Amino acid sequence: MGYSGARGGLEAILAAEDLVRTKRDHAPSPWASAGQITGRFRLAVDRVMGEAGLYDESTAAAAFRQAEGDTLEASHLMRAQRSTLPRLAVSEPVDPSDMVVMRRIVPAFRQPDGPQLLGRTTDYTGRMLEQPDGQPPAPERGEGKQAPERTEDERRPRRFLDLLRKLDLVADQRSGDDPEPYDITRRPARPPAERSAVLAAMARAETGALVGLWYRSILGPDGHVHEVTLGELRHGRLPLSVRHPHTGNAVSVGEFRATEAEAIEDLDGADEDRARFDVGYGFCFGHNERKAIAMANLDIANRRFGRSGPLEQLLLLTVDGLDSGGFLEHLKLPHYVTFRSMVERKRAMRAAAGSGEEPGAAARPAELAESAEPGESAESAESAELAESAVSAGPAESAVPVEPAELAESAVSAGPAESAVPVEPAELAESAVSAGPAESAVPVEPAEPAVSAEPAGKDPR
Amino acid sequence: MTEALSRERRCALLARADRDELIASADACLADGAQVRILVAPEVGCITAQVREPVLAQRFVAGDVLACRAEVELAGHRGWAMRLGDDRAAVLAAAVLDAEVQAERPGAEEVDALCRRVALRLERRDAEEWAELAPTVVEFEELT
Repeated sequence: MGYSGARGGLEAILAAEDLVRTKRDHAPSPWASAGQITGRFRLAVDRVMGEAGLYDESTAAAAFRQAEGDTLEASHLMRAQRSTLPRLAVSEPVDPSDMVVMRRIVPAFRQPDGPQLLGRTTDYTGRMLEQPDGQPPAPERGEGKQAPERTEDERRPRRFLDLLRKLDLVADQRSGDDPEPYDITRRPARPPAERSAVLAAMARAETGALVGLWYRSILGPDGHVHEVTLGELRHGRLPLSVRHPHTGNAVSVGEFRATEAEAIEDLDGADEDRARFDVGYGFCFGHNERKAIAMANLDIANRRFGRSGPLEQLLLLTVDGLDSGGFLEHLKLPHYVTFRSMVERKRAMRAAAGSGEEPGAAARPAELAESAEPGESAESAESAELAESAVSAGPAESAVPVEPAELAESAVSAGPAESAVPVEPAELAESAVSAGPAESAVPVEPAEPAVSAEPAGKDPR
Repeated sequence: MTEALSRERRCALLARADRDELIASADACLADGAQVRILVAPEVGCITAQVREPVLAQRFVAGDVLACRAEVELAGHRGWAMRLGDDRAAVLAAAVLDAEVQAERPGAEEVDALCRRVALRLERRDAEEWAELAPTVVEFEELT
């Protein structure tokens, strides 16, 4: 027997969708345009772009509006949209030193090369809630007030890492090799992975998950992060260049904003250069300082301890919002069969105990029907079939009718099925390794992301 | 005498021009009845952004950036354009303008003039941005 799931409920599902759409699009308040959203909720828009792994402010604003302000749902919409788009080019390697800074602070050193530029920040502002009745009046600007011409050092200040290198205070980790970067959107990355895969996973990680892992690494049992000194933090604009198809030269096609961070770590290992520091690196789309700082600390922690403990696996497998959130959200879908099979196992164990068999002995599906209580034979027989089917079934139970072809693909990308059979820890680990990512490595048809009932996250059971 | 623009510099400035000025300029170039052949229809997709981080000097993929591109042929010369975002009309117009210059057609000078206006506008934007940012430069004092 093959896949067995819930079906029906289409009218209720459509009514629920309609309720969302109506309440959202026809709320008794003015329509929020993409321009309004990017202008007034820029940090939310930036977060969505970063967690989606797709930079476009207008698209992120539309996703944010459609998701009613739920940043993870907005990221999900963005990734679904991205999966429908072709890859036009791979950029020339972006040099972060080309960033024209809009904000740049060096907390570790008072007088770095170039300015300490606070830029647009509330870091030093008291958290006093303002509740104006309407838009506050525009501040008065001094007429004709102009700043002196910006020097190159003020536009693109030399990074703090360069100063540390000049002072011979940082261990030089550059080996001169230039491996091709791992693309986690095409192939799921599993430990042991190249560093580029871990950096890419962190760059589009869910911000809260990354910060949570960072904090655990400081205060939790792992102790992966020892020093929490921030070397430098920047937010600014970077040019994006591609190879011109006719001339073969690099050509700039626009700019994007990004945040980058350098974290200083003390080296104290027996085989480390204790006379010098090391530096971790963080970089993400948009303005998201928490994420970039956490990433920088976790980068150096991963280089030092990623393989000797669980950190690399945690970074690759647990910080993606669509993975974790998708798995969590799918728990809301009907799991009637799963739970019924669990109940049947309990009954079977009880019946086995009553008949003198070893209570913990696993019952075969056929035995379930035989051991059922009087009056329940029909249901138990059905449950036995369901239990058997759950072993071979691919995806999780879905409330939405799913086509067989989609089932096959879902089974590939969603990983192990919801199994009614107890799974050993060793199997868990293997499942996690073999499971595909939430975002399929296989280019998907435009219609597929619309099947929102299919959980984005993998089922590690 | 104004410096001649390289093709890459021109493409970069056309990528930053406003859609209205691109479309108006392309319409003006084609007003003489010249036939445009579309080689690559305006297409929206992604540019995969790879970053070379400064610590180990290794590359990694930071994500994708939404972009669109188009390619045309005008008077036997090919024009190409790519811009960030998803404005198909703007990228098609930019490709026409690139071809106009490659073909050394009558509108070529106006295309370069447009590019110089865009460059000036970007410089002005930078200056205005710096006027806002400069007051936030800080030198904290150390307590000793």
